[in-house]
Amino acid sequence: MVSINFLLKAFVWFNLRYLKRHYGRTLAVILGIAVGAAVFTSVRLSIHASLESFSRSMDLIAGQADRVILRPGGRIPDALISQLIRHPAINHASPVLSTYVVVEGIDPKPLLLIGIDPILDRMFRTWRSEDLPTTSSTQPKSFWSTIIEIPFSLLLPASVARDNGWQTNDTIILQHVERKTAFKIVGLLHNSDFALAENGQIAITDIATFQEFTGLYGEVDRIDLQIYPEASADDMADLKSILPADVSLSLPSEQKDIGRNLIRAYQLNLSVLSFVSLFVGMFLVYSLVALNAASRRREMAILRSIGASPRLLFVLFLADGLFLGVIGWMVALPISAILVKYLIKGVSQTISTLFVRLSVEQVALAPWELLLSFCITAIISIAAAWQPAREAMQISPLEVLTSRHSTLKFKQFTGRLAIIGLTFIIMVWPLTQLPGIRGFPLPGYAATFFLFVGFALLSPWCLCHIGRLITPLLSKMAGSVAFLAGKYIGNSDTRTAISVGALITAVALFIALVVMIQSFRSTVSLWVQQTVAGDLFVVPKMGQLNRHRYPFPQKAVEVFQKLETRADYVAFRRYPMHRQQIPYQFEAIDFEVFFKHAGFLWIEGVPETVHLRLMKGEGVVVSEVFANRTGLKVGDRLQAAIDTIQIDLPILGIIRDYRTHGGVVYFALDAFEKLRSAYRDRPNARLHQWSGLRFFFTDNHPDIDMLVEDLRKEIVTKCPVPVDMISGRQLRQGILKIFDETFAVTTALLLIALLVATVGIAVTLVVMVLERSRELNTLFAIGSSFGQIQAMIFWEALVIVLIGQFLGWGCGYLLSLILVFVINQQSFGWTFLYHIDWRTLAITLPLIISAALLATLPAIRSVFYKPPASLLREQ
Amino acid sequence: MPSLLITLFYALFAILVWTSDASATDNKYLQVNGPCHLQFPKDHGSHPGYRTEWWYYTGHLTTENHRRFGYQLTFFRSQLRPNFVDDNHRLPKSDWRSNQIYLAHAAISDLGGKRHLYVEELSRAALQLAGVNQKNMLTEIYLKNWHTRIGPATHQLVMQNSKFSFELNLIPEKPPVLHGQYGYSRKGASAESASCYYSFTRLKTEGTLRIGRNRHHVKGQSWMDHEFSSAPLEPNLVGWDWFGLQLSDRTEIMIYLLRTRHGKISPASSGTYVRNTVSSRHLDRNDFNITVLKYWQSAKSKASYPAGWMMRIPSLGVKLKISPNIADQEMITTMSTGVTYWEGSVDVDGTVKGKPVQGQGYVELTGYDQPFNAPM
Repeated sequence: MVSINFLLKAFVWFNLRYLKRHYGRTLAVILGIAVGAAVFTSVRLSIHASLESFSRSMDLIAGQADRVILRPGGRIPDALISQLIRHPAINHASPVLSTYVVVEGIDPKPLLLIGIDPILDRMFRTWRSEDLPTTSSTQPKSFWSTIIEIPFSLLLPASVARDNGWQTNDTIILQHVERKTAFKIVGLLHNSDFALAENGQIAITDIATFQEFTGLYGEVDRIDLQIYPEASADDMADLKSILPADVSLSLPSEQKDIGRNLIRAYQLNLSVLSFVSLFVGMFLVYSLVALNAASRRREMAILRSIGASPRLLFVLFLADGLFLGVIGWMVALPISAILVKYLIKGVSQTISTLFVRLSVEQVALAPWELLLSFCITAIISIAAAWQPAREAMQISPLEVLTSRHSTLKFKQFTGRLAIIGLTFIIMVWPLTQLPGIRGFPLPGYAATFFLFVGFALLSPWCLCHIGRLITPLLSKMAGSVAFLAGKYIGNSDTRTAISVGALITAVALFIALVVMIQSFRSTVSLWVQQTVAGDLFVVPKMGQLNRHRYPFPQKAVEVFQKLETRADYVAFRRYPMHRQQIPYQFEAIDFEVFFKHAGFLWIEGVPETVHLRLMKGEGVVVSEVFANRTGLKVGDRLQAAIDTIQIDLPILGIIRDYRTHGGVVYFALDAFEKLRSAYRDRPNARLHQWSGLRFFFTDNHPDIDMLVEDLRKEIVTKCPVPVDMISGRQLRQGILKIFDETFAVTTALLLIALLVATVGIAVTLVVMVLERSRELNTLFAIGSSFGQIQAMIFWEALVIVLIGQFLGWGCGYLLSLILVFVINQQSFGWTFLYHIDWRTLAITLPLIISAALLATLPAIRSVFYKPPASLLREQ
Repeated sequence: MPSLLITLFYALFAILVWTSDASATDNKYLQVNGPCHLQFPKDHGSHPGYRTEWWYYTGHLTTENHRRFGYQLTFFRSQLRPNFVDDNHRLPKSDWRSNQIYLAHAAISDLGGKRHLYVEELSRAALQLAGVNQKNMLTEIYLKNWHTRIGPATHQLVMQNSKFSFELNLIPEKPPVLHGQYGYSRKGASAESASCYYSFTRLKTEGTLRIGRNRHHVKGQSWMDHEFSSAPLEPNLVGWDWFGLQLSDRTEIMIYLLRTRHGKISPASSGTYVRNTVSSRHLDRNDFNITVLKYWQSAKSKASYPAGWMMRIPSLGVKLKISPNIADQEMITTMSTGVTYWEGSVDVDGTVKGKPVQGQGYVELTGYDQPFNAPM
């Protein structure tokens, strides 16, 4: 057994000195690994911080509740509280209301105004006065009771007050759907516990004030419960029996899980993408360790002859790889620290836009994430060094006495490797047919892995055969120099092939992502033109932020109905809903006008017949996301309770929709209002309840913007409540801008992967040249010119790059299909219209080739790294 | 006078000092400054407009196998502001909008088991979470699933908690006793330093008591106080000792001692002696003398409380030794009043006009943890 001490000494003598002597290439590889590891680490840290921020905020808002009562798409009568509080199963109960509000006069982030009964809520959420020195479960009564005592008073986190220059007893004006109201700040919350929810952007007021401010008399958003641990099954059954039928009793973690699940798919996709840089870096390690193994055969043979075991050589070369990985990872840490500052903004913004609202100001050091990146970097580095290390094991001590090498019979294996590679590629098809596992596209990723491995295994065979095939052609094109280059490629070994694998990976990813992003963008673009059509969109103040939970007050509806405008309007009522923990929006819309001016992108269903049935309220159409997530198909029935209204309707069609908060279900507004009016006991059952309107100008006026502006002015003048308005043009531009911002991170990661791949090509070519120093010098000695040899190297590089590109294109095309139709579907539930942006590819791919060829320069320069005489003397 | 009066008075004083804006709260609560004109059953109900009010039950219960328990159940009403009108906001009022907060304490002293259990409740008077109802001669004071119903002939007490619960029926054996001058009970030098205060000093009690999973059928005697006021305690006072004793000769004694910062007893301290007939006699400070025999220190609060007394009322020939049945009957009410006080069952042994008597009672001691400046 070789002792660790001896191994370390051997490593320092044998490996470290050598790496130090060739510091240039060593540094290049370390840098490549460092960039890959830094990207991976910073992406993981950014997502981890975002997830943590979301979870913490949800936990702080959920407090100590162990059950929560909710009504899908609606609210709960607060009178229920007196029954609940006396129920034998319930220890404590606390009603909660919340809404986003803006503070007049400044332009801060919106505040989440939370309405609670500070007495009932004390068992659920912890908050304390800024003035108290320590955490205490008991607050001075004067602190919490003041918001009960003084109508329209609130408590603010001290940080928010400080940021805005507010103090206790100041008055601020809050704006909501219907009204602006002055609130008195009666206390400041210490920046801990509940005050940290929503990253501190909250305000706490009494439930009475909240209801009077928002007009939600008699209703609460939810009731949090603490159940007695000893509550029996009968008690729980009895508890359920006293709840209205359409009210759900669920675990508070369900809300968090829904959000986390939405983010998780994004997390996984971004992690995989960031891993690509690290994966490409693996080829760099391979190249360097392989070079070391190749160029030190004589030294290894001497070591073997003086007693070193093959195992020692194996371990030493693995240590080479590990050393590069570990140093690369260490160098990655400061790079990660810089990268993460930029990434966190993009990642949290994307998550906020697409999935759940969150705000991350700081990135906490996550030891597990660091450990993960360390382990992955180390494993990848060792894996990269494995094959050269095994080759080193096979060196015979006899090589000391002979100049001949016992080379591997590589070519014999290329055919076998190609068959295995093809098998892997064929296996991709059945893998893509498997469903995602619990919302994770694992089969999709497995298919991607099989695809990469398949093409990597195929590359040696392709190199040999394509090299041989094109040799005559090269000979004709550029004479003997190109002929020799072709011959070399035709006789190349695994090292060259695996380096080509790096290029294939990078090119394939580039093509696939360009195709996916462009397909996505063009489909979204079509969707916004068709489905998000309209010239002016009007919603109640903060309507979007509050997820349309507050419809227009009746007086506003009456104003809209009487507007003197040439525009048609489409009213809609939207409810945020859940089905089997899958969030979706139920939207009742005036189809008659909608279909006059806009339409859906149909996936299933015949528009001509479905339109008519939809207008009659005979069924619903659902988005592709909803259908994929719930498993419902055309012909199935959708049953749901929406704000006490029971619906049971057939699904008439499936449409494309790219809304970010899950799927969408569309139903006729008229029919929905009729259903609602059947519930006569509900207040305002017979009134219109509109979440928003979109206006369409009917004539082809040359200056639609002017008409929109006039309509805006009319609404501002006549509408009795504040509203949010956006022109259709701005909305559509905004959606596409968000789209582009979302993919900015992806594109950045892709470019980094390409950069690492380029470094990979450079290192590969340098390796090739250095390995063949004797051969090249012999060519020089027998009369070749320096220029001829450089030209030969250039042709070799060109052939390698072209073969890499060719295979990369094939791999990329298949990968793009997997991304568009498998991974996106399994991750997010949507697919896109497949679209290849030839223009972008036509521009960018030559650039990649040029970049790759530029990477040959160091190799060309290194041709005569050693004087020919010294090389010949060595022999 | 019920023991928690002191607690509340101090608390209210503290609130007044801390939270206000004296102009907004001063002199707008109704004041007790003269005869209370108490009428029953109307005055069993609540008296909004006065800042504080409480309904206070204590008693001693015995199981069929002679296991003894003491109990306490108190409901407090606290009005947050004298005037709830806010001219700036003429919006319809939410059902949650309330100016009244109800608090309740319940305690069990397991005299054989030498343990003291207590729980607290708190709620605003809204959506039937807490409040007082009066209908058809019946007064109901409730807070979540605790309540007392005062009828013409009985009082019914119900409290439920996972630690313990009880349901008791109480039958008054004497009519209500009006303390002070026909219920007008002075607590200081000024006419406004006073409360309206009456008691049922002897109520025959029967019902069930559950501690954990053990349920007992119990019988015994109870005491009930009802008091309301708006006046804070005088600033030189630090605490209050209250005694409510039921003697074996079917007489009862109530005495409260107001303690000053200098360790003296305020001249405003007083009491009531209830004869075994229906009549009673007011006791002023000069009528009685109470000396402390020993002290007990709480391990939790570190407060040192009197733990034994000798009570003398020379004019009545009363000489009684009062001993706590359990040393630790301290109430640390962080989840409601925030006040730490001692409220416990005591036994009484002594003589009245030379004849031996025994008895039982409750004693409340406040202001020993810290001078009374904590909020309610």
